[in-house]
Amino acid sequence: MSAAQAASAPALAIPARPRRRAGVWIAIAVVAAITVITCLPAIGVGLDIAPIVANWRNGATKIVELLTPDWSFFPRTVAPMIETLQMAVLGTVVGAAISLPLSFWAARPTNPHRAFRGAVRTLLNVIRAVPELVYAAVLVAMVGVGALPGIIALAIFNIGIIVKLVSESIDAQDAGAIEAGRAAGGTQAQINRAIALADAWPAFVSQTLYVFELNVRASTVLGLVGAGGIGLLIDAVRTFYRYDQLSLIILEVLVVVVVIDLVSDAIRRRLV
Amino acid sequence: MTALAVPARGRSPWRMLSVVVVTVIVVAAFWSVQISWGRLADLPADIGRYLWLMFSAPEWSKLPEALWQTWRSIEMAWVGTVLGILLATPLSLVAARGFGPLWLRGALRLVFSVIRAVPELIIAIIILSVTGLTPLTGALALAVNGVGTLGKWGYEAVETVPPGPIEAARAAGGSTAQVLRWGVWPQAQPVFLSFWLYRFEINVRSSAVLGLIGVGGIGDMLTSYTQYREWSTVGMLLIVVIVVTMAIDAASGALRRRIMEGPRAR
Repeated sequence: MSAAQAASAPALAIPARPRRRAGVWIAIAVVAAITVITCLPAIGVGLDIAPIVANWRNGATKIVELLTPDWSFFPRTVAPMIETLQMAVLGTVVGAAISLPLSFWAARPTNPHRAFRGAVRTLLNVIRAVPELVYAAVLVAMVGVGALPGIIALAIFNIGIIVKLVSESIDAQDAGAIEAGRAAGGTQAQINRAIALADAWPAFVSQTLYVFELNVRASTVLGLVGAGGIGLLIDAVRTFYRYDQLSLIILEVLVVVVVIDLVSDAIRRRLV
Repeated sequence: MTALAVPARGRSPWRMLSVVVVTVIVVAAFWSVQISWGRLADLPADIGRYLWLMFSAPEWSKLPEALWQTWRSIEMAWVGTVLGILLATPLSLVAARGFGPLWLRGALRLVFSVIRAVPELIIAIIILSVTGLTPLTGALALAVNGVGTLGKWGYEAVETVPPGPIEAARAAGGSTAQVLRWGVWPQAQPVFLSFWLYRFEINVRSSAVLGLIGVGGIGDMLTSYTQYREWSTVGMLLIVVIVVTMAIDAASGALRRRIMEGPRAR
């Protein structure tokens, strides 16, 4: 648009904006107030630029180290990485096996007992409220360092996710097929086995693959609390501030996560 | 009563192959993993015993300290969320089709997906070389991690907005900023608000996890008492984590439903 045209164009008349209700302003004020409070040094996180400026050089050299991975470290990372994948696989299998019956107990069409269903759902809500690393930290103190606490922590974490997603998909199932089963004289167990399971199976398989992807990500850091896998190595190199070795591990984690996501996507398309 | 016949499922070669491959991987993992299988026999009894130690008589005298540390964790989550929103929102607008140049869009999307693949604990380990083991490190790690998810959700939300108002704003001669403000924002606002709240819920969980590497908050306290094996305190701390997380999820979930469905829904 030329300058002459721009000058001759009439000014854009913007219609008056609808007045905001007071509630919006109150919400904005509350958010701003909480943000200010949480940034105060005495009771908040102490959002302070000074240490960042002072330590910037320190950070800069670390970032340079991060950009130059120590490739010679690779052989030592292979065994822990395999253990990480083993933990992810076994956590998924154990978690999925326990989740299948729980999903049926947590869904309305497959479990008509209101109190029992409510109890299962409440238990799962509680399980979901605790992060998997917290489970791992507590389990390490219980059963000792190694892959076992990691696998149990992942399995618990997976039960929370799979049961929620699969029981929701059972709840959303077409009621007609289940009514037909009931009309044909099937018991609840028979209906669950013959109709609800067949309908829920694709959802179950795809959620299981989904939590496997989550497990690969999660299991890389479980070692930071002592639960085996590549995380133990991450903890070791961070203690010695070997950021060049850390960088190699992060690269490996990235590659493994991306490859697993691709493979699991391919399997999902074949199976579901 | 006769058994209900289960109809046979179709068999495709790909399905068979996938089943075989998955089975082989699972069996190999079981066979090769380094676990003292002897321990598994006493495991249920052990876990029962520890659950009894933790929850039979939780140590309520340390509750004030636990609540203070919880507050620190929530602050970390809040600051991380706010910083994440401030960083991610402009980036996600530039990364949306129709608003940023192709090369920049590609680069930003790559950055978002790389960040999403790195666990927040590793991001915190990188950041702590600059800021040390402080809650600020935790907040910054959550903010950086949030850019990965908020950035992706953001550009997806902008791209799925109905194009009519955008075209109208453009046809009326609006600049890119004006198109975003008047064509995109009014439509995408509920989705953005709901994503921000959801990210805050995620950050509340993650802030407890970040404490495990020592940046402070409830996770820090939990690790210490786990290491001292003071099980009654650990039990009390777990109860606090569960109650606080569920309360924040419930409040934030109710707000999200109200934002997405309006006050009259439900």
